[in-house]
Amino acid sequence: MEVIGKPVVDFAKEVDLMAKRVFLEAVNIAGGFRKLILYRNLTWVPSLIEAAYVIVLNKEFGKTPEQIAEFLGITKETVKRILSADEEKVKEFLEGKVEQVDEHKAGGLAKLAYRRLKERGELKTTEISEETVEQAKLHLPEFAWPLIVLHAVRGLDFPVGKEELKKVFSSIDLTINGKKIEDLLNYLEYPIKSPADLLKKLKEAAF
Amino acid sequence: MDAFDNDKKYSKEYKQYVFELEDLKEKAPPLFGVKTGTKIDEMFFKVEFEDGKAKKVPLGGIPYLGVLNVVGVPDTGKSVFVEQFAVVQASLGYKVLFVTTESPSYFLYNGLKSKAMALGIDFEKIEDNIIVVDASQSDELRQNTFSLTKTMEYAIKKKKTTVTVIDSITGLYEHREMLARQIVRVIYNFLKEKRQTSLLVSQKRSSQGGDTAEAAGGLAVAHILDGTIVFDKKIIMSAFESRLYNMDIGEVLRTVRIDGCRLTGHDTSTYVMEINDLGLIEIKEKLSEFIKRNAKR
Repeated sequence: MEVIGKPVVDFAKEVDLMAKRVFLEAVNIAGGFRKLILYRNLTWVPSLIEAAYVIVLNKEFGKTPEQIAEFLGITKETVKRILSADEEKVKEFLEGKVEQVDEHKAGGLAKLAYRRLKERGELKTTEISEETVEQAKLHLPEFAWPLIVLHAVRGLDFPVGKEELKKVFSSIDLTINGKKIEDLLNYLEYPIKSPADLLKKLKEAAF
Repeated sequence: MDAFDNDKKYSKEYKQYVFELEDLKEKAPPLFGVKTGTKIDEMFFKVEFEDGKAKKVPLGGIPYLGVLNVVGVPDTGKSVFVEQFAVVQASLGYKVLFVTTESPSYFLYNGLKSKAMALGIDFEKIEDNIIVVDASQSDELRQNTFSLTKTMEYAIKKKKTTVTVIDSITGLYEHREMLARQIVRVIYNFLKEKRQTSLLVSQKRSSQGGDTAEAAGGLAVAHILDGTIVFDKKIIMSAFESRLYNMDIGEVLRTVRIDGCRLTGHDTSTYVMEINDLGLIEIKEKLSEFIKRNAKR
């Protein structure tokens, strides 16, 4: 009878990772870092980081406003304003449909970002280091291809087309089930919506 | 407004939660029983049609993919029942995840082993079918639902379990009962997503009636989970009770009852049960029949 007596995950590390993803997605929704600079909205950044943590702690870890306030060292009222922000109104504001909103803008943005990441199944994707890929190649060569693919497409802005993917994989020597990746890419249906979509389509094409 | 404007107005994330009833036909799980090895198996039933007439048929276990609440005051047989269930399932070749928040795993090992012996099952042959998450010794596992579900997910994947027992879920919100609803909801959704037929033990507070579905954290557990099995006991303390049950003062009358189940039909009667000398649950007869048979006029 096997007994597991310790958590298999590091809570703090998981929170950091997810909040980082929500923050970066929120910046993307706001138009990217350059747009934040151009529109003199750089002051949003600290609030966005804060809001990303609040949303992740509440939605993913079930923490109450009191617990979040204690965890982040901010007031309970701020946490509540972030959690109750209407993301649709903030979206309208960002699209220029309304001039002003009363909502917590960073809270609304973080909520939008969180929703999009969840939809794409990218919030909890494990970060893959080069070391992990090398270990997988060494010990489990036939199962390493998904890791190699995910590692290669890091930082790509999905959805992506064929040419973009061909460029990424041009310098990578990878065969899946005996088929070369550059050939497999010709058989996929484009655009590829997400890294998960890419893995699924590659698997269908190769096996 | 054009009816199709709705499609434009509502983004796909909302639409994914709307189903036509006929679309659910393929997704609906089959209704059959997951054996507990006790009379409870006959207390759940389903309806079948025979010659155009509806007929009640025993389910043969707790409903497949159901997440049920096992509640009762201390020492009523909740843990005995869920351990018996785990051993019976393991003996049938199913993989079982047992999450203990109360008894350390080495005590649980002895409990499961003795149940197997009492049932005439070679424990060595089945112990590999049970994987344990011991949250009793880890604050992080008991107090952080995320860590717990991730660890359970690891165990479920590793062993490919189909059955889960948590003894007890109350251990996850000791001293913070106001979070019970939130925690139970997360665990419930997790078990549904992982397609685990589950029994979750929950404890009562001293002020709660022994025969009700209410548990620590209020009615949250009973409300969220698919059904509740209530274990209770009564110490015979008056001459009236002694005559009614034909038992000596000081003796204990144990009962069990399915309080409700949203997945399938069930017997609503209260049954008399015993924990026999071998430490196994034995459900006897309906309390009403027991009284008819035993009451001294």
